[in-house]
Amino acid sequence: MRIQLSQLTKTYKGGVHALKGIDLDVPTGMYGLLGSNGAGKTTLMRILAGLLRPTSGTVRLGGDDVTTKEGRLAVQRTLGYLPQDLGVYPDLTARQFLDYIALLKGLDERPGRRRRIGELLEVVALGEHADRRLKGYSGGMLRRVGIAQALLNDPRLLIVDEPTTGLDPEERIRFRTLLSHLAGERTVLLSTHIVEDVAQTCRYLAVLAKGRLVFQGDVGELVSRADRQVWTVTTSGAAPSTGRVVAALPHGSGMRYRVVAPVPPDPMARPAEPTLEDGYLALMEAAAPV
Amino acid sequence: MIAALRYEFLMQIRRPVMWIVYGLAFAALVATMWPAYRTLDLGSGGGHDPKLAMVVSAKVTMSLLAIVYGCLLADRLIRDRRLGVATIMDASSANPLGRLIGKYAGVCAATAAPIALAFFGRAVVYAIAEGKAEALAWSVPVFATAILPGLAFLGALALAGPLLMPPLVFRVLFVAYWFWGNLIPADMMPTLSHTIFAATGDYVAYGLFDRGSEGGFVYGPWPDAALNFLRPVASPAVAVLWMGVMVALAAGILLLARLHAARSEH
Repeated sequence: MRIQLSQLTKTYKGGVHALKGIDLDVPTGMYGLLGSNGAGKTTLMRILAGLLRPTSGTVRLGGDDVTTKEGRLAVQRTLGYLPQDLGVYPDLTARQFLDYIALLKGLDERPGRRRRIGELLEVVALGEHADRRLKGYSGGMLRRVGIAQALLNDPRLLIVDEPTTGLDPEERIRFRTLLSHLAGERTVLLSTHIVEDVAQTCRYLAVLAKGRLVFQGDVGELVSRADRQVWTVTTSGAAPSTGRVVAALPHGSGMRYRVVAPVPPDPMARPAEPTLEDGYLALMEAAAPV
Repeated sequence: MIAALRYEFLMQIRRPVMWIVYGLAFAALVATMWPAYRTLDLGSGGGHDPKLAMVVSAKVTMSLLAIVYGCLLADRLIRDRRLGVATIMDASSANPLGRLIGKYAGVCAATAAPIALAFFGRAVVYAIAEGKAEALAWSVPVFATAILPGLAFLGALALAGPLLMPPLVFRVLFVAYWFWGNLIPADMMPTLSHTIFAATGDYVAYGLFDRGSEGGFVYGPWPDAALNFLRPVASPAVAVLWMGVMVALAAGILLLARLHAARSEH
C-alpha cells in the first residue's frame, strides 16, 4: 500500500505545531521514520491510523483519503497498528485478548478467527503462553501480543510506533527480525528514535525534526551525509570541543572518541567510515538552527 | 458490540473485588434491615403476600446494593484509556457507538448479577419458607420492572460520570446522590427522592404492583415538599412513564458520553 502525504500539517489546541507541511511518498515494503522525541512521529502515525485529523493537507493510503470518514473506515479495515503506548487487559489471556480485538476488527466467523489467532500466536512465538493471563507477561511478550493484534486482519499497512523501546537486546533483535519478515507485500512503517532499528531493517527512510521532514531517501544516501565528517581522536586530554562526540571508549591510558564534525576536530584526528547513526547526526546538525 | 459485551461481561464478572464488596454490602444490608429483611413487609404487614413481599424485597435490595453497583462501575469506561487499550480499539473499524453500547451492556449486566442473585435468592428462600411458589413467578416481573430500569440509568451515569471527574470523587458524589436523590424523605429538603427521576422503582411498586393498597396509601405528592410537580400520583401509566424516563436518561447519558469521546479524539 502506497502512502502519499501532501502539505500535511497538524496544530494542536494551544497552538503547538506538531507537523509542518509534510510531503512524503512511502512505497510498499519496510520504511523507517526516524526522529528524536517530540519530532512529530507519533502525531504522524496517529493521523495515518485515523486517530487524529490533520489540520490541513492530504493523506492518501492506497487511494483512500483518511481525512474523510469513508476513507478512514476503508483504511482501518486494512490497517494494523501497534501504538507506542500499547496496553492490554491484564485479566485476559493472550488468546482472549486477541479474540476480543479480532471481533472488533470484524473477524466474525469463529473457526476462521480461532485459526488465525492460533497462527499468529505461533508467528510471535507465544503459542505455549497463549492461555496465561497477560498480567504475567514481560514487556517483550506484550509487544509481541501487540504485533499479533495488529496482524489479525492481515493488514496491507502495518504501522508500528517505537516498538522496541524498553526491550532488552535479545527481544529487540527478535522483534526487528519479525518486522522484516512481515514486510513482503505489505507496507510496514516503523517509527522510532533508535537509529539501529532502522539500520537493521529498512532500505528507505524519512527523518522528522521539530515537525518538519528533513530527509527522505534510501539508507545509503543518509549515510553519505556524513561522508568526510566522521573522525576518531585518540587522546589522554579533554574530549574534542568541535563537532559532536558519538562514542567514547577507553583506550590505553587515554580515550578514543568518535566525532561527527565538518572539519577535523583535532590535529590528530583520523577519518572514519560513516554509519547510519553518523549520517543521522550530521543531518540533525545541519538541520539545527544556528 | 457483541465483542465488547461478551468480554466486558467476562472481565467484570470474574473480578474478585466485586464479589467481596457485594458480599460485605449484603451482610450490612441484612444486619441493618433486620427484621424487615426477614419479614419483607417494612411494617405494613404485607409480608405474607408473595407479590408485595417481592416488591419490598426489591426496595430493600436496591437501597444499599445500588450504591455498590454504581461505585463498581465508576472506572470501567475510563480504564480503556488508562490501560492504553483505547488506541488500538479506536484504530479498528468497529463502530465506536456500538462498542460503547456493548461495553455498557456487558459491564452493567455483570455488575448487576450479584444484585439479581441476592434478589432471586431471597425469592427462593421466601418461597420455601412461606410455602408459596408464586413468589418465584412474581419475582421475575418485579425485577424486570422495578429494578432493571433503575439499574440501566445508574449504570450509564456511573460509566459516564468519571469522564468528567476522577473516579474517587465520582464515587463520593454518587453515594451522596443516592441518599439525597433516592432515599431521604421528600419533605426533608428539595430532593429528587420519590420523584419520577428517582431510581428506586417506587412508582412501579405502587403503580403496577399496588404496594400501598393494603393501607389505602396513595403514592405521589408529599405534603410541604418542594418539586411535587415531579411526583405524580402513582398509576400503571406513571409506572410505565418512570421506566421510559430511566431508559431515556440512560440513552441520553450514553449519547453524551460518545459525543464527549468524539470531541476529545481529534
